[in-house]
Amino acid sequence: MKKMLSAAALVTASALALTGCAPAPAASVPPSQSASATPQNITLWVAGGDTPKELREYLATTYKAKTGGTLTIEEQAWGDLVTKLTTALPDANNTPDVVEVGNTQSPTFTNVGAFSDISDLYAELGGDKLLQSFVEVGKVDGKNFTLPYYFGSRYMFYRKDVYKAAGVEVPKTLDEFNATVKTIAEKNPNKIKDFSGFFIGGQDWRNGISWIFANGGDLAKVDGGQWTSTLSDPNSIKGLTQLQEIQKAASRAPKTAKDESPWLYINDSDVITDADKKVTGKTSLAAATIMAPGWAHWSIGDLKDDKRVWNDEKFGVYPLPGNDGKPAPVFAGGSNIGISATSKNQEGARELMKIIFSHEYQQMLGKNGLGPANSDDVSALGTDEFAQALIASASNSKLTPAAPGWAGVEASGKLEEFFAKVADGGDIAALSKEYDALLTPLLNAK
Amino acid sequence: MTVLSSPARTQAAPGAEPVRHRRPSVVPYFLIVPAIAVLVLALGYPLVWQFWTSTQKFGLAQQFGKPPQFVGLANYAQLFTDAQTWAVVGRSIAFCLVNAAITVVIGVLVALLMSAVGTVTRLILQIAMLLAWAMPVIASMTVWIWLFDWHRGIVNWALTQVGLDFTNHNWLEQPLSFYFVATVIVVWMSVPFVAFSVYAGLTQISEEIMEAAALDGATPRQRFFAITMPMIRPVLMIVTLLQVIWDLRVFAQIRMLQDAGAPLSSTDLLGTYIYRLGVGSSDFGMASALSIFVLVLTVALSFFYVMHLLKEDS
Amino acid sequence: MSRRRFRPGKFLASVVAILVSLAWVFPVYWMLNSSLLPNAVLTSTTPRFLPFGGSMANFAAVFDQGTFWPALGMSLAITLTTVAFCLLFAFLAALAISRFRFRGRATFVLAVLFIQMLPAEGLFIAQYKLMSSLNLLNSVIGVAILYVAAVVPFTIWMLRGFVAGVPIELEEAAMVDGLSRTQAFFRITFPLLAPGLVASGVYAFLQAWNEFTVALVILQKEEYRTLPLWLRGFVQASANRATDWGQVMAASTLVAVPVIIFFLIVQGRLTSGLVAGAVKG
Repeated sequence: MKKMLSAAALVTASALALTGCAPAPAASVPPSQSASATPQNITLWVAGGDTPKELREYLATTYKAKTGGTLTIEEQAWGDLVTKLTTALPDANNTPDVVEVGNTQSPTFTNVGAFSDISDLYAELGGDKLLQSFVEVGKVDGKNFTLPYYFGSRYMFYRKDVYKAAGVEVPKTLDEFNATVKTIAEKNPNKIKDFSGFFIGGQDWRNGISWIFANGGDLAKVDGGQWTSTLSDPNSIKGLTQLQEIQKAASRAPKTAKDESPWLYINDSDVITDADKKVTGKTSLAAATIMAPGWAHWSIGDLKDDKRVWNDEKFGVYPLPGNDGKPAPVFAGGSNIGISATSKNQEGARELMKIIFSHEYQQMLGKNGLGPANSDDVSALGTDEFAQALIASASNSKLTPAAPGWAGVEASGKLEEFFAKVADGGDIAALSKEYDALLTPLLNAK
Repeated sequence: MTVLSSPARTQAAPGAEPVRHRRPSVVPYFLIVPAIAVLVLALGYPLVWQFWTSTQKFGLAQQFGKPPQFVGLANYAQLFTDAQTWAVVGRSIAFCLVNAAITVVIGVLVALLMSAVGTVTRLILQIAMLLAWAMPVIASMTVWIWLFDWHRGIVNWALTQVGLDFTNHNWLEQPLSFYFVATVIVVWMSVPFVAFSVYAGLTQISEEIMEAAALDGATPRQRFFAITMPMIRPVLMIVTLLQVIWDLRVFAQIRMLQDAGAPLSSTDLLGTYIYRLGVGSSDFGMASALSIFVLVLTVALSFFYVMHLLKEDS
Repeated sequence: MSRRRFRPGKFLASVVAILVSLAWVFPVYWMLNSSLLPNAVLTSTTPRFLPFGGSMANFAAVFDQGTFWPALGMSLAITLTTVAFCLLFAFLAALAISRFRFRGRATFVLAVLFIQMLPAEGLFIAQYKLMSSLNLLNSVIGVAILYVAAVVPFTIWMLRGFVAGVPIELEEAAMVDGLSRTQAFFRITFPLLAPGLVASGVYAFLQAWNEFTVALVILQKEEYRTLPLWLRGFVQASANRATDWGQVMAASTLVAVPVIIFFLIVQGRLTSGLVAGAVKG
């Protein structure tokens, strides 16, 4: 991740990084007034490997300096997070004190009272400068339980050479995008079997919902505490119809594919050789455009010494455009963070929250390519093309509904099924009604 | 555990006629105490919890301290009126019987191969089986999913090389083809266990008996059914029962294949369905009800078999 | 073994055995092959069957994380504890049900058979609560208790088959020759049970070594992770970024190696002349 730190980001962040990276000297971080008399040893659960080592060390040293207590950071795998939260959070003797959760998992856990009310800290931690869509999913009855930790966003990676050979430009509107990827698939300049203008898997609802959002539709709406699935809303249907057209005319991805590893299809495998250094490999290029989170660019590029190296001549990025001149609203990735309600170390946990939402730490998140929660620090992401695409696509991004049963909706696999059936050419009107009826009870399940 | 409380009464019990020991003894009770203790310790509370939870509306809110609501048999009623439950049950039974049958037949054949070939060949075969058996489930699933990958899978590559066009063929898209892949993997993983268990049984057969039978003019087929089969019967019966139990609620393999991109509702088996209800939807009441139902179903499926096993045992 | 003449049946059997071996070993080979190749080669559409141009770089990268050895230690501790207690408890119980007739025997046998039909996927919350109240979360003992309970029913059954398979007349004959009952058991019956004990031990070892659902719930702290959890974490962390197949395969290989070593050790036992000798004697 360190490599992501661009020269430009260095300049913007350098002054603060100096204080941030050095093991916090006592002078720069005065002991907090509110720290309790006896230091509390606390545990922080981070989800997945997104928080880099450098940031973890900073949190531990700063917490020690500020409170005298020890901070233990434990990494939990995304796939097992819900299982572990379900068992450990209610158990006062074994609960972690501060927990990172996926932004879409937040409503499910906040609604059952898993987190402490931190409304009184809200203003101090950044208040209205915090990413509001994430603040919303951490709120119940107007009280704040979890707050944004970092955001990510998805944008388009494309092949400049293929676009050129097909005679198309980078699209400026969603309609243009839909037409462009179709044209590329039809022209197929390299004459590759099953070539996609835009590679999007049939089950890939996380990217697919961008078309619903971009046409003014949504997945669900809430009225008086009752959630209703809105796939059959006219605007949603409009988006789904465009998506179906793309699936039919521009994408050759399998109907079962999700959003994993799409970058494999945009790379050439140009120098595959056998033992005698004879070229035996065929190209594995299968798509002109993919949609992926920013870190995908580490896996995209030319093959040099068996490693992928980004090549500006051949590859480029752009945010998915909307029809209103702004980037299209895409699915916002990222995490929320909160304090376990059963934790016996509420004071220590609150101190840690203050460190996480401090200017220094927010800057460090940005420098490492993670979208900072506080809008003041977003500039720390830098100015290279990846940072620009991330900031642009995130500026208009949207979250999944903050319904109590959302985690259940994801676990049911119904969205994957629905999008796969749409991709397969199913009757959208009938399918969306059918799945609305299936999803509405799941949304409201507590 | 009535077993523990009644050693004194055994002396008076006329029904329990000792076969080898003319004198009733407390020894057997001491022998089974450790096993019972660990079973009660590890499974006693979870079992009770599961029964109790299956009669409650128990979701994530209850897990976080909200008092659960007693609903009687409502969870079961909901379960049995849901067509999805029966679809999953039907698929699971079919999958289980097919897999158990294939596994046991191949396993016995491999065990017979082991005893039929020379030392070196046997060692090669045993090591191959051991390697496959030693593979951690997570590791072997990763490899298998990769072998069947639609784009870079070696299976498609090989089929295309021999002239069939399998380029970009997606194995996980259709349920039947999904179950075919699952069967290949489950059988591959389970055969070594069956083969070694049966082979261990075969080694107990003394060569003299076989040679004597051969001298008496018994054909290999006769020898197999008259001598070998009865000797490996106990092992064979128990491994068959186990395969049925395991394959009925096969979990890790199906879940990881689903993660690789199969449509969930048409590929769910009982194990993954319980998991989806429980961890996925946080409906622990329903998940418990389904678990109890699976227990009853397994008992029912294997009832005659177990009874037969018991009769043979005594 | 004394007859050296060519037998077509045996030759055919050998050919079949070799083919079966190849089929079974291929995925394992593929894992090993891939662990030696760089990721970019692995993600191309043309497979490379031999690890030419390969290196140990993937293994080095895996070891660099420094998390393998603690996980190996944890796995060994849990697995060996499980195997030892499981074999002991199961052996005693198997003796009871195959050599004695006692009141409640049928109930016990039935309970042992049916208890393993309980689906584990619904039990984890209760198991967590149980271990939490016993203060055994994040401990070898806690996991081992659950593992022994999970494998002991089958092990009892398997051993019962082996104990019953040893004709009691052998023991009685030895007793006629002046050995005590205990001596007769250990000199005559016990050696005959070796294959059974090894087979059950291998079974218990594998179950404990590969299990990850219970471990996931009971061992919540990172420093107490077992190898399957370590590998799973590795696969998932890797999938979160771009999956580095080479490293995942190297990690998988490392998890399989201790099992293979264990197998090679007991392999001799499975096939040793001990068995045949004892039967003849």
